[in-house]
This record gives sequence, C-alpha cells and structure tokens, in this order.
Amino acid sequence: MLWTEKYNPKNFDEVLGNAKAKDEIEDWINAWILGEHPKPLLLVGPPGTGKTTLAHLAAQEFADSIELNASDKRSYDILLRTIGEASATGSLFNQGLKLIILDEVDGIHGTDDRGGVRAISKIIKEGHHPLIMMANDPYSKRIKSLKTKCQVINIKKVHTNSIVALLKRICIKEGVDFEEHVLRTLAKQSKGDLRSAINDLEIMARGKKSITSADLEMISKKDDIHNIFDSVRTVLKSKNPQRIRDAMRVEADPAFILELITENVPREYEKKDEIEEAYEMISQADTYLGRAFQTRNYGYWKYTYDLMSLGVALSKDETYRKFTRYANSSVYTLLSKSRAKRDLRDRVADKIGEKTHSSRRVVREQFPCLEMMFQDNDLARELADYFNLDDAEVKLFRSRKIPKRKKAKPKKSSQKDTGNKVEKKESSAVVKREGKKEKEVKPQKSPKKTKSTTKKSKPSQNKDVKNLAKEKEASNEKNSTKKKPSNPEDKEKQVSLFSFK
Amino acid sequence: MQGPWVEKYRPQTLDEVVGQDHIIPRLKRYVEEGNMPNLMFTGPAGVGKTTTALALAKEMLGEYWRQNFLELNASDARGIDTVRNDIKNFSRLKSVGAPFRIIFLDEVDNMTKDAQHALRREMEMYTKTSSFILSCNYSSKIIDPIQSRCAIFRFTPIKGSQIIKRLKIIAEAENVTATAGALESIVYFAEGDMRRAVNILQASSTIDNQITEESVHEVISKAKPQDVRKIINSALDGKFMEARDLLREVMVVQGTSGEDMITQIYREVSKMAMEGLLDQETYIDLIENIGKFDYRIREGSNPRIQLEALLTKFLLKDKQS
Repeated sequence: MLWTEKYNPKNFDEVLGNAKAKDEIEDWINAWILGEHPKPLLLVGPPGTGKTTLAHLAAQEFADSIELNASDKRSYDILLRTIGEASATGSLFNQGLKLIILDEVDGIHGTDDRGGVRAISKIIKEGHHPLIMMANDPYSKRIKSLKTKCQVINIKKVHTNSIVALLKRICIKEGVDFEEHVLRTLAKQSKGDLRSAINDLEIMARGKKSITSADLEMISKKDDIHNIFDSVRTVLKSKNPQRIRDAMRVEADPAFILELITENVPREYEKKDEIEEAYEMISQADTYLGRAFQTRNYGYWKYTYDLMSLGVALSKDETYRKFTRYANSSVYTLLSKSRAKRDLRDRVADKIGEKTHSSRRVVREQFPCLEMMFQDNDLARELADYFNLDDAEVKLFRSRKIPKRKKAKPKKSSQKDTGNKVEKKESSAVVKREGKKEKEVKPQKSPKKTKSTTKKSKPSQNKDVKNLAKEKEASNEKNSTKKKPSNPEDKEKQVSLFSFK
Repeated sequence: MQGPWVEKYRPQTLDEVVGQDHIIPRLKRYVEEGNMPNLMFTGPAGVGKTTTALALAKEMLGEYWRQNFLELNASDARGIDTVRNDIKNFSRLKSVGAPFRIIFLDEVDNMTKDAQHALRREMEMYTKTSSFILSCNYSSKIIDPIQSRCAIFRFTPIKGSQIIKRLKIIAEAENVTATAGALESIVYFAEGDMRRAVNILQASSTIDNQITEESVHEVISKAKPQDVRKIINSALDGKFMEARDLLREVMVVQGTSGEDMITQIYREVSKMAMEGLLDQETYIDLIENIGKFDYRIREGSNPRIQLEALLTKFLLKDKQS
C-alpha cells in the first residue's frame, strides 16, 4: 500500500489545513441530510491539497457515490444513466442520496465534450443530487459558467509546517530515523503539494532505517506544471530570479507563453519606460524564437525563455501592489471572431491571385485599389466576371450588390448620387461607360450557355491572342461599336479564336 | 473580358517588358539557344519578375507553353509537401511539344529553410526534364545551395520615365486622359512598382475619365490605410493599449503583413516629419528604431509582437503641436 493511501485522512479532523473549507463542506453535507438542496460544491485548488480526499470523506456521509473524471467523454453516458436511475427510483429519502463527484471539470474540452457540459448543467438544474466538482485552475474559462451556479470553495496549499509535522508522524510510524531539516526541505520542495511530499518521502525512506540529506539527491525537484497564468503572474509581479525561472517550467509552447506575457505587460506595468523596456525584451525573445525556427537550432529557446521571463520581470522599477486581471491574448479572440471575414478575404485573394499570377499577399496589397474600381458598376461587373467572384465575395469590395444589367439604366441616376463624390464631370464618363456597358451586355446575358467554354478559354485567350497592337484594335472596336446595343460576334470571335488554336 | 488593367496590359513578350534592359537581352539569348539554366529573379515587387517569367516561358516553349509550364506560389499557406507533389507530378512526364518543361516558383524567400532544402533536391532530380525559375524579393533569404544552382538576375525598380511611357500607352488604349501632373504623382507614389502604378491609374479612371492630379491624390489617400496614422498618433499620445488594439485589428483581421505594416509606418512617420509634426531629433530616433524592428521582423517569429514593441518607442516621444 502506498503511503499516500495508507496515511490518507480517515475523517475530516485528520485533514491538514483548510479549516474553513472543511467547515463549509460539513455544513453542506448536513444541509443535504436535513433534506435541503444546497448548490453544488466546486472545490478549486492546486493539486495535492486534498480536494479529492475531502470529496471522498464527504462521500462517506452519503448512501452511495459515483466518481467520474470529467475529462473523459464516455463518463457522461454513465453519468446520465446514473441520473436516470436515481430519478426513476426517486431520491425522496436522504438515505438514498447518491453523491456525484466530478473531478477535473476544468479539463472539459469545449467542443469534444459538449455533451459533458450539458450533462453537468442538467444535474445542477435538477438539483436532486449532491454534486461535488473539483478543478485546478480557478481562471479556467470552462468553469466560469459553473462558478455562478456553485458554491465555490478555495482549497489552499498546505502550509510547510503542517507538511513537516505530518512527514514526522509518518516517519515515526514507519520507524524511520530522520533529520528534521531533510523533512523541511522535502516539504518546501513540494510547494504545498502534500501528496508529492509523501510520495517523495516514501521513495527516500521505504525499507530503510534512516534518511539523511544525501538521500535528498534522489528526489528530483518537483517539476510541477504551473498554470500558465500563474507563470505570467510571477513574471509580472515578481523580481525574484529563482521564482521567475521556476515559473517558466510550464508545459506550453514558448510562442504561446510569450504571447500571454506580451498581452499582459501593459495591464500590469504602468510606466511608459517600463512597458518600453519590457517590450524590448519581448522583441528580443521573439527574435531568438524566429532564429530557432529558421535554423532548426532549438538551443536558441533558452534565450527566449530568459528574455521573456527575467528580462520582462526586471524591466519594472518596483513590483506593483495591485490586483491585475490577466487576460488571454486579444489576438485569439480577434482570430476566432474574424474567421468568416478572413476566409472570405483569402478566398477572394486566391481567386484573384490565380488570374494575376500573384500570391495572397500581393493581391491583398491591391485591395484598396480594387475596392475603388468596384465602385463603378460596370467595371465591378466585369472584374467580378473575370475573377469569377460571387455576390458574397463581391461584398468584400462594395457594400451594395452590383445591379443587374437590365436594371442598370434606370438605376444609373441613383448610382451617381450615392456611388462617388463625383460631380459634373461624371456625366461624360457615364455616357462613355454606357457604351461599354451595352457592349458587355451580351456575354453576361447568356452566361450559362457560354460559361463552361469561356471560363476555360479566358486566361489563355488573353495571354495568347493579345498583344498591344491587338489591344488597340480592340479598343478601336470598342469605340466603333459603342452605339451598337450588342455585338454577339465579338465574344464569339474570341472564343473561336481560342478553340481554333 | 480582360480583367484589370494590370492583367490586360501585362507584357506578353520579352521585348515588351519594361525597364529591365540589362536582363532581357541575356534571356533572349537563352531563347535563341533553346536552352536555359535554372534562373532566379530577385527584386522588389511590381518590377516584372512574374511577367518576365511568363514571357520567357512562352517564347521558350512555344505554342504548347501552357502544357509545359507550372506556376506555383510558394508563399501561400501551402506546405512543402504540396509543392513537392506538384513538382513531382509535373516533372515526371516528358515535355510534349516543347524542348523541356519550366517550373516557376514565386516568392521563394517566404519558404522555410527546410522547404528550401527540399526544393533543392527537387531541382537536382529533374534537371533533365525541367528548368526552374525562382522569384524572390530578397536573395539573401535563399539558402546558398539554391543560389549556386541558379543564374541570378537582379531586377531593379522601374524608372519613372519608363512608367510614364507605359501609363500613357494604357491611357490611350483605354480612352482616358491623364495630365502630366497626374502621371508624375502616380510615379512618385508607385516607387518603381509598375503594378501599383497601373492600379492607381485604373482606380483614378473610375473617378473620372480625365485623370488629374487631384483624382490621383484622392485614390492614393483612399488606398493608403488610414489606420496607420491613427496607430502612430495613439502611441504618440501615450495610449498604448489603444494603439495596440488597432494594430492587432489591422494585422489580424485585414491581414496586413508585418513587412507591409512597417513600410507604411516608415512612410507615415516620414510624412509627419515633413509636415512638421515631429522634430528632427525625434524623427531620426524613430527611424533608427523602425529600421531596427524592420530587421527584427525578418529575423523573428512573430511580426506583430515586433511591431507592438516598435510602438512602445513612440510612447516616450512628444508630438510637436
């Protein structure tokens, strides 16, 4: 039997620390036993502080309990089935109360476990069952909505002295001789995580008569995975190099850590020169990140880590004594909010790029000019056809739909008023363009007929047939055909020219 | 239906290509010989790299150039695997109706080093059947093994007079007129970039068939992102969060690249200095920082973070009132 199990508290009195939390939980249990239906409990605290132990102790007070790991998707089927059973048999008698324990509710995955959140909400709403949930990360978005529906109990880290005392008791019971400072070091290294302290002690002392400071070396320093916001907080609040270095031991991509630190620097730091200095460090950290990617020499990461943690931390004159709400990077919100917009933008850029032999980036640079070109109805129609843009895609460049050709004439006047800030000179332009417009009527009117052939032929036809001389011809033609309402041969000639080839 | 003017008036032959007189004769010699090595075209945007590649392919491969020409955009969100598969599938087959096949890879400098190494192998594997034309903005971002396998052609920004000449031809063909002042303004803002020049010309023509300096300026002021000035002003006023939020909006939602963003910031700051909004000392200090962060953007991993860092440099400056 592992010592952590062997020395697990058997009742609430044996639980170390968190006296207030214990009282609250006992009150909550009593309320249920008295037939009340209090809100569910949400125990929030770092690992190894006794959340699970408390929940298990609470379970002893009820007739039955079921414990599920919330990050396991399947557990919700079980959960719902359990609820079903329980409500079918009816839980009128307190003796029949079944405690539901949900561990790691902050581990619920937003999309994969959608059913999970719903199931929890259902249990809470019905309120027939005592429910205790546990979470590590008090800032997790996933438990944000739960928090309002629950009684939140913060479970704090266990004080080093309490840990030392417990370790002493265990040593005595196990008959192991000890030096007090060894236990103290163990307790300190555990950082309030009782479970890991007992585990470490077991590794050092099991089957031995005594432990000395030499044994400490067996124990690798606890490589605890900090909550990433804790790390950010440490960087921004602390000036202690050791603590800051430790804080960087988080399991996250350095680019992500950098992003979060960057996001929160101006939230914590108030002086302009502090922000500037911190950003200088961030900039350099990012430079090494880039070098690492480009050269595939990830050894550069160490500079990134030092610059973004120590560099940023030491940029402040003094630590701020204030509460700062740290935020996730607004870039991520922007990204998810603008997804549809960006997709549209990229789709349009791809279509245009295909015709103009350009990358997205080059096309995007031309967007402002294109936007202006699209204000002209005829040109807009022509370009939309050429690039093969649909109505939704055209909207990227103009807010109104391109009027249909038939209606183009009557709408002309209104277009003049709203379209541009153009004055008198417009009239002549409109007349001229009208000529063009009429001419283009034809291909557009019967797009379905010719589409398949013309679409394929367009690019090559443009490239092959065209040279400047021909263009001049074409433009002359344009002028000469201005008065004709339509000239079907024009289009057909071009098509046949290509197919001939 | 011939698309926007940039496409409609794209030169179709090597002779038509504007402003690269030191390059075209050499390429024509390849055409005469009917053979060419792998080529690398480097140079800023809008100077004719793609146009030259297309024209060269047509002249080199003749009637069936389309079947023997593969164009790939390396910069877009395509993995090296896609590029490799495309190249493999294309190069595997012998050319039909042409002496060999040509693969044109755009913006190679935006490929990662790993992808470039993979590309290098593809280049070696298919030398018998295919030639490569690579294009990039900065040859320094191309790994040496690739550079050593290519004949490098450096494209230069197109001279103002040559841009004007071209714009006049287009204007005439399109039945629009443009004043000398209008053309001068376009050239000034185009900075040797023919694509930009033609786009401004066409956008101006939608305002009025008679293009004047005013209409050009209207287009340019619209085409220029307004937000950059706002971002700079917020930062100068000490409102860092405001500036940062706007920067993020522009970069994330509108998708402006870091390199474009910093170019625009540079332009805007220069303009503010000219307008007397910044004193000389502040101006030089800012330019020094812009240059520094321009470099870091290219070195670093996240251009947006670098630009945010640049914004902090504006915080400590006072705007002249």
